[in-house]
Amino acid sequence: MPAIINSAPDCVTNVEGAKPADDIADFIVQANYQDCAGFMTFGPGSTYGEDGVGAAGAYMVLTWIGIAFMVAVLVAWIVVENRRVIAYAAANALGRGPTDGPPPQPGQTR
Amino acid sequence: MIDVFLAQVQNLEEAASAEAQTLDSAILGEQFYFWTVVLMWLIHAGFMTYEAGVARRKNVMATAMKNILTIAVVTPSFYYFGWWVYNCNQPGLPIGPNSSDFTAAACSGGIPWSDAFGPNLTNNINLIFFLAFLLFSWTAASIMSGALLERVRLSAYLVLAVMLGSVVWILDAAWGWSAGGWMTLRFGFHDAIASAVVHGVAGAFTLGVLFNLGPRIGKFTKEGLARTFRPNNLHITLLGLMLIFTGFYAFYGACLVIASTAFPGWATIYLSPTTLGSITMVITFGFAGGFTGGYFASRGDPFWTVSGGLAGVIGVSAGADVYAPTLAYLISALTAVCAVYAGNWIETKGRVDDVVGAVAVHGVSGFLGIIWVGVFAAGYPTGVNNVDSSMWGQLLGVATFVPLGFLTGWVASYVLKKLNLLRVPPEVEIAGLDTVEYVPDIYLPEVGVVPARLMEPDGTIVDADPLILEEAHELMSGTR
Repeated sequence: MPAIINSAPDCVTNVEGAKPADDIADFIVQANYQDCAGFMTFGPGSTYGEDGVGAAGAYMVLTWIGIAFMVAVLVAWIVVENRRVIAYAAANALGRGPTDGPPPQPGQTR
Repeated sequence: MIDVFLAQVQNLEEAASAEAQTLDSAILGEQFYFWTVVLMWLIHAGFMTYEAGVARRKNVMATAMKNILTIAVVTPSFYYFGWWVYNCNQPGLPIGPNSSDFTAAACSGGIPWSDAFGPNLTNNINLIFFLAFLLFSWTAASIMSGALLERVRLSAYLVLAVMLGSVVWILDAAWGWSAGGWMTLRFGFHDAIASAVVHGVAGAFTLGVLFNLGPRIGKFTKEGLARTFRPNNLHITLLGLMLIFTGFYAFYGACLVIASTAFPGWATIYLSPTTLGSITMVITFGFAGGFTGGYFASRGDPFWTVSGGLAGVIGVSAGADVYAPTLAYLISALTAVCAVYAGNWIETKGRVDDVVGAVAVHGVSGFLGIIWVGVFAAGYPTGVNNVDSSMWGQLLGVATFVPLGFLTGWVASYVLKKLNLLRVPPEVEIAGLDTVEYVPDIYLPEVGVVPARLMEPDGTIVDADPLILEEAHELMSGTR
């Protein structure tokens, strides 16, 4: 089945028919990964001995989407809660006198 | 038999290549921090249980949800900028030649697009170390959580949690809880297991927020005397604290640096030597002394006895890498006594409604903790510059962290207050947050609804609802 999004960095080789590990118990790195030390999706990839810290363009985009999502969620939390509590306060305004009865309690409705 | 086994292990180690030993060491470190992360979850299970037990029945679910959602906001924010704040703000202030060189490598690993944030066969430590710090961040935010119960908006709390958990505490950690921070490099500031770095600063931040948030309706009489809202389930609160204590052992472990194939094997965050056993001894004696001090200072009050244990441990954390057990025992008892008196003073004299005593237990005890190091453990070289710890260095920590925590908390909550986003309306507070935000009542119908009662300053128990409603009307009409 073809990949929908191939997000592997270039150091993952994807050579069809590449020699598999000799013995799974030996924990030998599979041939397609043998040059690849860092292989996060959309990442720049890095090889052994390399101090790779740069970001691939796609990974930067992914990161900023995550940041935007986080900020949007925080704003949404504020907006949704604000609407909810304001609506409740408006519908249950404290216009009554203090002797008009107790405030509503959990499990009870007015 | 044992001798033969040890000889075989030694032969194997000698046969292994240096590279293999390095990999073994890295994987051992990865495993160590992994398990501390798992166990530190108990701190958050504990905070949730603890606070849900303290809250009145109408606010139990809102309280629990607040704790759970801390994780939802602090996790991404700490990843996107919190780790960068830590790694790229050492030393944090220009303190001399080469001061910025120390951070270059660490800083590059702290940015969210570093390739060390995913599967990387050459780096087994960065991610798991990040996660240990993330759990510290949840803890910092959760410390504030309990103090604000029953009247803060969930969304306001989440914004403040991001501020505290992903900016404020981690900035002070960069300065004073790292081998390369300016406070350590230059002044020998010593706070081995984060007395002030996590707890003190979180307490100061919380106090700043409480000043803007105000007390719960009905908490104080017209004369300013404190009433007591009785906890909905005190033994669940005590269980929560016990869960926090269990998680604290992992917190202590996670504060160390492990280098298993190199002498001395364990070091503090300042790279000063210590052992896992010695810090475990200190935390255990810290609990013993803390419970004792809390019990006697509060005359056997269960809440303050158990909170005293927490205060005691926080009081000895700063010097946990070097303290003798007896010293830890005595300091923790003294710290717990101070926390109990501080908690009562904050409520009765300061008229601050801190529902769980977080400012006293975490803030006061945290800052006392670093002062105790200046008193009892001055002279220990700290940090890569080997500057001796001293009372001056510790007081510098107090002078830096108190305003950092308090002012950021006060300013952030002031802005939210001015936007009318900090506190729920009185109608919602009276009805209970559960009624408005979640479900009207989380309890089974057959449990029944018992009218809420509270304790007046003179100790008499009265129905809460008429008092609270009366005060709400006075607040709304501006007569109070």
